[in-house]
Amino acid sequence: MRTTTEKGTKRYVAGFYLLLLGGWQTLFSLQLIPDYLFPSPLQVGERLWELGRDGLLWPSVSATLMRMTIGFSAAAGLGLVVGVVMGMNHVLNQCLRSLFLGLQTLPTAAWVPISLLLFGLSDRGIYFVIVMSSVAAVAIATSDGILHIPPLHLRAARTLGTPGYAMPLRVILPAALPGIVTGVKLGWTLGWHGAVSAELIKSSVGLGYLLYMGRELNDVAQVLGIMMLTILFGLLLDRFLFGQIERRIRTRWGLTSQS
Amino acid sequence: MQPPAAPDHPPSAEPAPAPPGVKLRLANVSKVFRNNEQTIEALAPVSLEIREGEFVVLFGPSGCGKSTLLNLIAGFDAPTTGEITLEGRRVRRPGNDRLMMFQEHALFPWLNVLDNVTYGLRWLPNFRFHPLRRRRRAMELLKLVRLDEFAHASIHELSGGMKQRAALARALAPDPKLLLIDEPFPALDALVRAKLYGELQDILVRTRKTIVSVTHDSREAACLGDRVVVFTKRPGRIKAEIKVDMPRPRDINAAAVTAYAAQIAAQLEEEPRENDDGKRD
Ligand SMILES: Nc1ncnc2c1ncn2[C@@H]1O[C@H](COP(=O)(O)OP(=O)(O)OP(=O)(O)O)[C@@H](O)[C@H]1O
Ligand SMILES: [Mg+2]
Repeated sequence: MRTTTEKGTKRYVAGFYLLLLGGWQTLFSLQLIPDYLFPSPLQVGERLWELGRDGLLWPSVSATLMRMTIGFSAAAGLGLVVGVVMGMNHVLNQCLRSLFLGLQTLPTAAWVPISLLLFGLSDRGIYFVIVMSSVAAVAIATSDGILHIPPLHLRAARTLGTPGYAMPLRVILPAALPGIVTGVKLGWTLGWHGAVSAELIKSSVGLGYLLYMGRELNDVAQVLGIMMLTILFGLLLDRFLFGQIERRIRTRWGLTSQS
Repeated sequence: MQPPAAPDHPPSAEPAPAPPGVKLRLANVSKVFRNNEQTIEALAPVSLEIREGEFVVLFGPSGCGKSTLLNLIAGFDAPTTGEITLEGRRVRRPGNDRLMMFQEHALFPWLNVLDNVTYGLRWLPNFRFHPLRRRRRAMELLKLVRLDEFAHASIHELSGGMKQRAALARALAPDPKLLLIDEPFPALDALVRAKLYGELQDILVRTRKTIVSVTHDSREAACLGDRVVVFTKRPGRIKAEIKVDMPRPRDINAAAVTAYAAQIAAQLEEEPRENDDGKRD
């Protein structure tokens, strides 16, 4: 395949999205669907701007991000610890892995009813959904990362006199880091799904709540706008925060061909 | 060309009481690997004594058990029979008194060059709570291998030869009683290797380390070893020992090295072709 320069590729991607917007606008102009069901991109933008002006948007964005920060920190911490234990104990690994793989087949929204029953309409329920959505991914990726540590690193650590108690923090975790960040990245995405799903039902602020409100008010523009914002924030953090960290680690660990 | 007359040195067979100055002693050390159904005799009983400051090269065909023996000395694995003692103490587990340098550099990618070298110092009582002392010692070693300018570089920024030199600095930093080297510089091109042989000898002359190294390159063996121990095919047993009597540093391309290399390689070719009765290699 022909390789394009980084800058050239970016230009194509930008062009693709402009085309998408243009297509949307054209479709709208054809008036095939009534505009209360199918607003134009301009109307969506306008609605978002109104929400922002009325002070409804920012509190919701920050509420969702805050919930994710707290919930996902808990999930990542828990997943890391469980993953390290799994990575170091074969039997526990076999048991927990099958359990987690089973849990992962559950759509994240399926945790919402049980969280409602357990925690009612409190924020703790949202944290619960975030944790349950993402902890398995982090734990499995961590244990995989540990199981795939090059044996050479472990042997080097032992010949250099590393005492057993220092192995997890000094050697095993850093050596497994490439696998761990991949898991954290995936966990973040799943947690994000869970957070917005939970907010749909049991919140009075948050991106999910604004989606729900849009539906209540039959405001398609708001629903579409918030959906796009949700994608945007999910993407921003996934690509630009975790993606950046992942790339840097993979380069440093010598796992990428190009530097 | 006539090979230089090397002093005849009969293979040591039964363990004798250790004379003074013996650093490492192998007494009837053998290794048998047992899988579910298969048993592989990797190493026949081997007895060997290595003196303080000596550079001994284990030389033999692929699969004869050289790495196995090195792993036993390092303590990664326990011998099936026999006993390994370092300064009279029995070897039981890996430890930083017998540092191993691996075929690949095995540097930790999550640490920079300097931190890789200080890493092994962390576990020594003298350095445990003295980060500055660790740093000073590591910088000395990095100067020795001429990497002091790269102290803060990441591992992936080093060339292959630089990585091996960093690994050497890391292995020398804790001042091990014994340095074990499995195939010192395998994945490097000939020019870089020739240069590294010169440097390695230079460093060894300065540090006077006791070293056991493994190779299947006869030229490398002749260039580096004070004594070359030639092994038979699997199960490896000691076939001959050749003393290399040449001043250091030796140039890998020197005629004398070539002559010794030929003599070492000849030991292998004399080996009668046995029936390998279907054992896989
Ligand atoms: N963990 C193991 N389990 C079973 N067999 C093993 C194991 N390690 C080594 N062997 C066998 O023991 C024999 C000697 O292996 P070893 O790695 O010591 O050879 P070597 O002399 O280092 O060879 P090379 O020069 O190719 O590195 C080989 O036949 C190998 O298949
Ligand atoms: Mg080997």
